Amino acid sequence: MAKQATMYIVDLGSTMGECHNGRVETDLDFGMKYIWDKIATTMAANLKGGNLGVIGLRTDGTDNPLDTGEEYENISVLRPLGNMDLHQLDELRAQITPSGTEAGDAISAIVVAVHMITEFTKLKSGKPGSYTRKIALLTDGQGIIDDQGLTSIAQQINDCEISLVVIGIDFDDKEFGFKEEDKSTQKQHNESVLRHLTELCDNGVFGTASEAIANLGIPDIKSTKPYSSFEGRLALGDPEKYETTAMYIDVKRYFCTKNAKPSSAKSFVTKAPIASTQSSKTVNSDVDMIDAPANGNGLLTVKSSRTYRVNDPIAPGGRRDIQQEELARGYEYGRTTVHISESDENVTNFETIKSFSIIGFIPSDKYERYLNMGESRMTIAQPINDKARMAFSSLVHALFELDSYAVARIVEKDGKDPQILLLAPSIEPDLEALIDVPLPFAEDVRVYRFPPLDRVITASGSALKKHRYLPDDDLVDAMSDYVDSMDLSAAGKDENGQPVEYMTIEETFTPVIHRINQAIRDRAMYPDEPISPPAEFLTKWSHPPKDLTTKSAHKLEKLVAAAKVHKVPPKVKGTRGRREIPKPLSGLDVEALLNRDKREKISPNNTIPDFKQMLASPADDSVIHDAAKQMGNIIRMHVTNSTGKHKYEEVKADMKTFREYMIEFETPEIWNDFLRDFKKRVANGDLGGDRKELFQSLRWINLGLIDKQALEMSDVTEKEANEFFSLGSDLPTRSRGD
Amino acid sequence: MADSKDSWRRDEEEEEEEELDETSYIAQKDAVLFAIDVSETMLASPPPSDDKKAEKDCPTAAAIKCAYQIMQQRIISNPKDMMGVLLFGTEQTKFQDEDENSRGGLQYPHCYLLSDLNIPAAEDVKTLRGVVQQDEEYIDLFVPSKEPVSMSNMLFCANQIFTTKAPNFGSRRLFIITDKDDPHASDKNARSQAAVRAKDLYDLGVVIELFPISHPNHEFDRSKFYDDIIYRDPAAGEDLASAPSNFKSSGNEGISLLNSLISDINSKQVAKRALFSNLPFEIGPDFKISVKGYNLLQKQEKARKGHVYLNGETKQYVEAETAQYAEDLARTVEKVEIKKAFQFGGSQVLFTPEELKELKKFGPPVLRIIGFKPQSMLPFWAAIKKSTFIYPSEEDYVGSTRVFSALWQKLVKDKKMGVAWYIARSNATPTLVAILPSEERADDTTKVPIIPAGLWLYQLPFADDKRELGPQQTPLVAPDALTDEMRKVVQQLQLPKAIYDPSKYPNPSLQWHYKILQALALDEELPEQPEDKTVPRFRQINKRAGEYINKWGQILDKEFREYQKEHYGGMDGTMLKRDRDDSEDPPKKKIKTAHSGKTLDGMSASELKNVVGTKGLSKYTVQEIKDFLVAKGMDAKGKKADLVDRVEQWIEEN
Repeated sequence: MAKQATMYIVDLGSTMGECHNGRVETDLDFGMKYIWDKIATTMAANLKGGNLGVIGLRTDGTDNPLDTGEEYENISVLRPLGNMDLHQLDELRAQITPSGTEAGDAISAIVVAVHMITEFTKLKSGKPGSYTRKIALLTDGQGIIDDQGLTSIAQQINDCEISLVVIGIDFDDKEFGFKEEDKSTQKQHNESVLRHLTELCDNGVFGTASEAIANLGIPDIKSTKPYSSFEGRLALGDPEKYETTAMYIDVKRYFCTKNAKPSSAKSFVTKAPIASTQSSKTVNSDVDMIDAPANGNGLLTVKSSRTYRVNDPIAPGGRRDIQQEELARGYEYGRTTVHISESDENVTNFETIKSFSIIGFIPSDKYERYLNMGESRMTIAQPINDKARMAFSSLVHALFELDSYAVARIVEKDGKDPQILLLAPSIEPDLEALIDVPLPFAEDVRVYRFPPLDRVITASGSALKKHRYLPDDDLVDAMSDYVDSMDLSAAGKDENGQPVEYMTIEETFTPVIHRINQAIRDRAMYPDEPISPPAEFLTKWSHPPKDLTTKSAHKLEKLVAAAKVHKVPPKVKGTRGRREIPKPLSGLDVEALLNRDKREKISPNNTIPDFKQMLASPADDSVIHDAAKQMGNIIRMHVTNSTGKHKYEEVKADMKTFREYMIEFETPEIWNDFLRDFKKRVANGDLGGDRKELFQSLRWINLGLIDKQALEMSDVTEKEANEFFSLGSDLPTRSRGD
Repeated sequence: MADSKDSWRRDEEEEEEEELDETSYIAQKDAVLFAIDVSETMLASPPPSDDKKAEKDCPTAAAIKCAYQIMQQRIISNPKDMMGVLLFGTEQTKFQDEDENSRGGLQYPHCYLLSDLNIPAAEDVKTLRGVVQQDEEYIDLFVPSKEPVSMSNMLFCANQIFTTKAPNFGSRRLFIITDKDDPHASDKNARSQAAVRAKDLYDLGVVIELFPISHPNHEFDRSKFYDDIIYRDPAAGEDLASAPSNFKSSGNEGISLLNSLISDINSKQVAKRALFSNLPFEIGPDFKISVKGYNLLQKQEKARKGHVYLNGETKQYVEAETAQYAEDLARTVEKVEIKKAFQFGGSQVLFTPEELKELKKFGPPVLRIIGFKPQSMLPFWAAIKKSTFIYPSEEDYVGSTRVFSALWQKLVKDKKMGVAWYIARSNATPTLVAILPSEERADDTTKVPIIPAGLWLYQLPFADDKRELGPQQTPLVAPDALTDEMRKVVQQLQLPKAIYDPSKYPNPSLQWHYKILQALALDEELPEQPEDKTVPRFRQINKRAGEYINKWGQILDKEFREYQKEHYGGMDGTMLKRDRDDSEDPPKKKIKTAHSGKTLDGMSASELKNVVGTKGLSKYTVQEIKDFLVAKGMDAKGKKADLVDRVEQWIEEN
């Protein structure tokens, strides 16, 4: 982005303190919305080249570089050109109040601004530097303006390549549709003078404040310099080997889309409150805004460090810290560790040479859009090479005429991994290009099976055309009508009121980017106010257009009637006795087979199935208690016999089933008693060694007490359930960051 | 069970969406155990034949080969998942050796655990390869037992393997490959026992997949035995079964048993992992159905290079643990202390993490139709990210499937697309998507489905995502004769079946990487030459289109000479200089305008030559000349005179 130099001229005359046209805020506050927003945008970009300055017009005093002349009175430089920080912003804010005078010439202020910009952007050599120069004037058009020498002033503005924006409070604007009634002749005169000046400028804009403020809602899109990621030959065939029967074209490849990301926040912590009263204040307030660099305001940057630990049976806890220098580099192949030494690296790398080569062609209708793997790029012929441009054009036109796409392999730089691209021709009056998207490799496509949508296949393999999963003719017709009624291809309106496509890409903006930008600006400019709700242009596309839904309402009614969709009521926890008994495909009653030798004993090596089957249809509560007792015994037995962590995973699976069933059978106390007892035994070391780690790990996989949240009837509160893990008499409380 | 457990977890964690991602990932880890039948008929070699395509493998061998290939594949695609291979019906018997006394031994006679259920190691790959190659030490494995193997025993053996090795895996499956449709024809008791053990597996959460093999003289009949041991979970919507698999020992229409097994197992070996479940799909105001989302496209990347500890008893892969500390005293910092700040005019603007979270919130998860457009309104360049596949789910709204089907049919029929506002998860940022229908597509030869019927959420770029190229020269449109010849070239070089078939293009870099890792892991010779199927077939191209390309080249030369003559009045570049010197219209003026408007890089060849011809290059700044040289990949160091020389040289050469 080019360096900027922007001068804002703010009319501070006494008349700016008045309220007009039904507004309850002063004209100054009203107009400043525009200026503050522009200043905030510059500041938020955090660019060294974002220079801005402010001149007050119709100020009580006079303070400007040209103040020797009478015509430059009542003009004060409030802030010279330069970067602005929040502290300076506060100072500036204090100066933006209406003065007690009406004197001061707007055109003179512009001349001062031109002078300042010219001086500021002049290089040491005296030549003008490369800057984007701009003057923005906010005024209510009430002062006296001397309209002599407009042409020469405009000439000067143009010579310096400055763009001039005049924003007038309640200025008439036919296009925007605003006209102030009972306008004073003075204001009428001033408006026409200023309008005339902007017309004389090459880059002049003249507008009314209401429009400028309304337009603030349209977001600025960060523009990025075109970036070329590949410059080389696009080949067809192998020109090295087949000199006369292969071809290549010199091309350049650019980004066409790039997923824009919101600004990212950095992490800070407040300095520990040692003695300074100021920093202790910040500790307590969450919403504090700090207006000085990190090191000066009690904020510390957070950095991350890495530690490495290896398994070591001798070390306490079985793990040992190790220095990074002691480690080699390598990979995992399945569960085997593979070390690749640096010298091997050269041999093992997949060697590639920079190239861009066409594999073949396909008709465009044989390509499915959803196979696209990412962002699009654009390839054009190298501009300095006329022969390449001609050759490239023939390829683009041939593809276009044949409705075909090219499939190509690209290696953007030596050693980079190859990619496969699909190239489509694009012919515009001012640009011929191939636009490409990345295609998947064999490994990138996962084959999952899904039943077809137009027929139902039964277990025996026959296909049904009528089924509750398939729409009947009524539903098909109703859907068709509804879809047609919600057509957006002509639901929008252009400037002339003609129907055009609704919601084009150009009209949609990344909600999160602009939401965050807006919030940063709000917080910086108005630190004490709550953050305003998302702008209308961000939420506009979250719902279908009102007039369309109104029009198609009766189609939707028909669709709803034909669809007969029912919402499944939310699952009630504690579905005691309502568990469906599963059957194999044949429908064989395995339960009956089981009942012949009804399982009453849970075996330690078939725990979960035995437990479930015992509770499939328990005769009475004693069966539940019995099953739970056996389960508890097995869990304790497994833990006691576990060498190290050997059995932990199995135990957790058992516990999970146990807890789940106790919730289902609405017997939380059985599980809770078991777990309390388990905790006691862990604490006493009754379970064959130190099992604290196992106990602590239960917390993270949701195997705590059954509390009220899990089951309404439980007498354990959420708080108790939480404290259960940390309170432990002599259990260590491992505080973890998460 | 796995499913009900998952939803139970989900209910509890609804509020802590961020954690859910991780936990559900853990819960969805997948373990697959292959159970391969070894018997006289499974070992019978196919009849000898001169036909090259005739079946060569006996079914058992084909199955083991298949397991071998799939194991290698899974190491790449699902590095955290487990796999094991169990043979049953063998004369030999082997179980997990570590607790031979307590559990193993002869408890499961004629079951041979070839490779225990685990994340595969290099040794497991080696073992399977040994078996595939029929190495000496494995020959004895292919001796079938004299007495029939008890299926209930085999199933219980599998039960033990899953219980001990993968107790907390969200997805656990037993793949049975056999040709015996009625293993206990005459023993009713043994049948019942097997049915009971199968129910145990079901209760344990293990799903059985059957891969039945028919012989020319015997069609496999599932109803005889296997329908009693296989369950379908109605909650998972699996009652909408696809056609059951069936394989022929003699191969099928020229496709070997191995290949059909691989492609079928492949389509089932990946546990279906839903990206999200029961997302409300709002087709109209107050009219919702529910859908699940799946990642059918996923860029497979090489695993990250990590740290390895070599000084221990065995090599260890070491994961780094990160801690955060404050810059001044290097004290570690707890997560709750951290505040987030944005840079603003050289200062920080602070937000609490809660505020930041709130800012990113745009409402609960939803897929809401805004309206419909013809698919042709989706510009080709509007691509930003891979798409997500969605499929209806009856769990929240009964009737979702038929409504979804009706919508799908309409979109397919009229080539329309939906456009929708989409928030995938709570706290996910909203995007706009096009909803595109896909029609079923199966492999022509194996008949295995590749693309399922359903809808795809195709993310649309926002205006912020579009990059502009800036103004360019007016295109130099090729003369018709040249385009006509190029058309012939394009027509000659259509890809097979006129489609891009991803399965034909394995990622060469990825394959090579894992081949090297495998060789290093097994301490073997490194492979010599990487295989790269993405390299164009130059010989074919030459054969089919060489002649046309040559002709196109000639036309290009001719047309280009004419173009030059027309524009510069010369015959070629060498004559240009002299001609220009005599030119009536002094190009000086042009240069001035060129300089103020255009950078060297943005100029056409003719403009550049003009610049050189009038010594105009020296009027450019060093920086501008440097930019040009860098863009052309040339050395940009040295004095201005040297740089100018280099540019002139380049222009002459090009």
